[in-house]
Amino acid sequence: MRQQYAWRSLLLNVFLALIAALVVLQMVRIQVSAEAGAFRDQADDFKGGYRTYYPERGEIFDRNGHLLAGNQTVYEVGVDLTTVIDPHSVAMAVSVNLGKDYEEVYSNILNPPPGISYLVVDNFASPEAVAYLKELKKELNESENPTPSLAGLEFSLRLERSYPEGALASNVLGFVNFEDRGYFGIEEKYNDLLAGNPVKVWVPNDPNRAVEIPHVPNGTSLILTINRDLQDAVEEILDQSLYEYGAQHGAIIVMNPQNGEILAMAATPRMDLNNFENYGVIFSNASEYNRAIGMPFETGSVMKIFTMAAALDTGLVNPNTTYLDTGEVQVGGVTIKNWDQQAWGMQNMVGCLQNSLNVCMARLAVQLGPQNFYGYLNRFGFGHLTGIDTSGEAAGRVKVPGDADWYPVDLGTNSFGQGLTATPLQVMTAASAVANQGHMVTPHTLYAMLRDGHQFNVPPQYAGSPIRAETAATLNEMLAVSLENAESEALVPGYRIAGKTGTAQIPTPLGFYDFSQTNASFVGWGPVDDPQFMIYVWLERPTTSIWGSHTAAPVFSEVAQKTVILLDIPPDAVRLQMPAR
Amino acid sequence: MDTTNHFNHAYSQAPWRIQRQWVSVFLLIVLGFGMIATLYLMVTSQAAIVGREIQDLRLEIIQIEHANADLQTEFARLTSKDEVERRAYSLGFRPVKPEEIEYIYVPGYVAPKGAMLAAAPELQPSAPSIPPEYTQSLLDWLDERLQTPSRGLR
Repeated sequence: MRQQYAWRSLLLNVFLALIAALVVLQMVRIQVSAEAGAFRDQADDFKGGYRTYYPERGEIFDRNGHLLAGNQTVYEVGVDLTTVIDPHSVAMAVSVNLGKDYEEVYSNILNPPPGISYLVVDNFASPEAVAYLKELKKELNESENPTPSLAGLEFSLRLERSYPEGALASNVLGFVNFEDRGYFGIEEKYNDLLAGNPVKVWVPNDPNRAVEIPHVPNGTSLILTINRDLQDAVEEILDQSLYEYGAQHGAIIVMNPQNGEILAMAATPRMDLNNFENYGVIFSNASEYNRAIGMPFETGSVMKIFTMAAALDTGLVNPNTTYLDTGEVQVGGVTIKNWDQQAWGMQNMVGCLQNSLNVCMARLAVQLGPQNFYGYLNRFGFGHLTGIDTSGEAAGRVKVPGDADWYPVDLGTNSFGQGLTATPLQVMTAASAVANQGHMVTPHTLYAMLRDGHQFNVPPQYAGSPIRAETAATLNEMLAVSLENAESEALVPGYRIAGKTGTAQIPTPLGFYDFSQTNASFVGWGPVDDPQFMIYVWLERPTTSIWGSHTAAPVFSEVAQKTVILLDIPPDAVRLQMPAR
Repeated sequence: MDTTNHFNHAYSQAPWRIQRQWVSVFLLIVLGFGMIATLYLMVTSQAAIVGREIQDLRLEIIQIEHANADLQTEFARLTSKDEVERRAYSLGFRPVKPEEIEYIYVPGYVAPKGAMLAAAPELQPSAPSIPPEYTQSLLDWLDERLQTPSRGLR
């Protein structure tokens, strides 16, 4: 009896062991079967996926902390192909609410590119459109019918660039396109800093691996030297001046000549940066985006400042040096005449600047000689980039002896600003040496950077000393006196100003000058004893008067009056009574 | 005496007693595995819950950052130059004229040069000017020597 039980027990054990072995064999067979690979791939889709983490683009502030460029929420709308039930409904909803092409979306859902389980439909969907789609998806989910269904339609937050001030300082800021890349101005120059580094990583859905999700630091925020209120005032004055003087375009820059900080930079045309897709309609080429730094032109008589600076610095003349102005002078076989074709008789160097005499300047340039004259222009930075930290700067052109297109007469015409080109910013940079005791500043728009909770201020940089401090002081005084003697329209009540007008004829495509069309300009600074602002005004082809003294000079005065109010610069009489600072 | 020894031996060798020992050992092993499995389950479930909370918090951080960006931009719009100017005019303000401004000298006042939107970076401590011979302990010195065996102890 006992033996019979033993046999039965043994048989049962063998049977159970056989079944266990079969189960194990089947498990192994499934693991190594062809279908197992497909299942594993399918499982991998649910384990996680590759995601690109875009850091929040750094913000841009003006020097007083007003936001000029920020970010706002938009949605990325996509389709999770593994959970789509009704491709027709999804494509229809996306087409109607987001304006996408139905056929394209529908065919992409049905025939996605290989290896894709998530299809991006729209990168910049508005919160309103997404809210409606979310509500629709919820309602369809709650209905008893399986179709229509928006299952698989996914929404994820992201940020896009926003400019709260619209077109304000648009020429300086630049813009960011749909691919989050900066174009023009600050946005382009500092694109890498602002954008940060996007990170593409495999993100696990397994909560036990949550720590593997990377932390992506935001882009660096920037504080500019721009003063928002002054920028707005300058843009308004520029627009009004174009209308008042019938000019085609123009630019105005306000800079601190002691450290190169750009306080305002206005140019025309401008555009609302929130609608940057209008770029092609407003601008015909890239150099027009910011003509204050990107469009060199023959600046005319403002260049006389630098010819005189060279003559004073070499000791060729002093303010009291006299000469007899006969109304014309021969340079390189060509006769050069004064702006009014008249002879001005006996003149000293102050009169030479005050009356803006071409003959005087041409004589000085000839006496200096080409090597000295062009050496000084080179040291003042003409023909070179100023190094401003804004994208789109042009260098201008100074022909020098040895160039194929340089002729001896150029020495004469260059002395009063014809035959060479420069941007308004180049003229200001060079003039900063006169205002700033011989030291030339490097213009810049970046005041500070904000990163990791700290503010890193940017120190000013200097671009050399083309003239001696004594020369700068003498020329400063000469320019101030010449404006006062001429009762210039550039004068600012209560403040002593130094500066110079410029009226340059514009060369035609045939190479001749059109005497009826000019570039009118004025560069000036003040207060003379402690310059805190320098202003350059450029009006292109004014029609009410061709002269800078009647167009750009009064605009300078208007900008200066606004500047002293907004920068809290008291009148000289008040300031000089204050105890020494 | 022999009878007693024989009985004790028979008792200890009894089949039911040996089986009970085996069962006890088996139950102990099962209990051990059970405890380990329970502990593992508890730890992994708690880790999963915490992991899920981390995922949720990360998502919440992103949403809050986006909300912050939206609010900051909205605030900037509400305080934009055009908007402030419009409200100032509607309240009866007008631009000041130069002759209406009165400047007052305030001793000791220094006008702010620009915005300070974050703390200045902390100054990095400069390199110590005192040679290590005067600052390191005996243990530090020994450790340094042992780290550079080629120089040996001097």
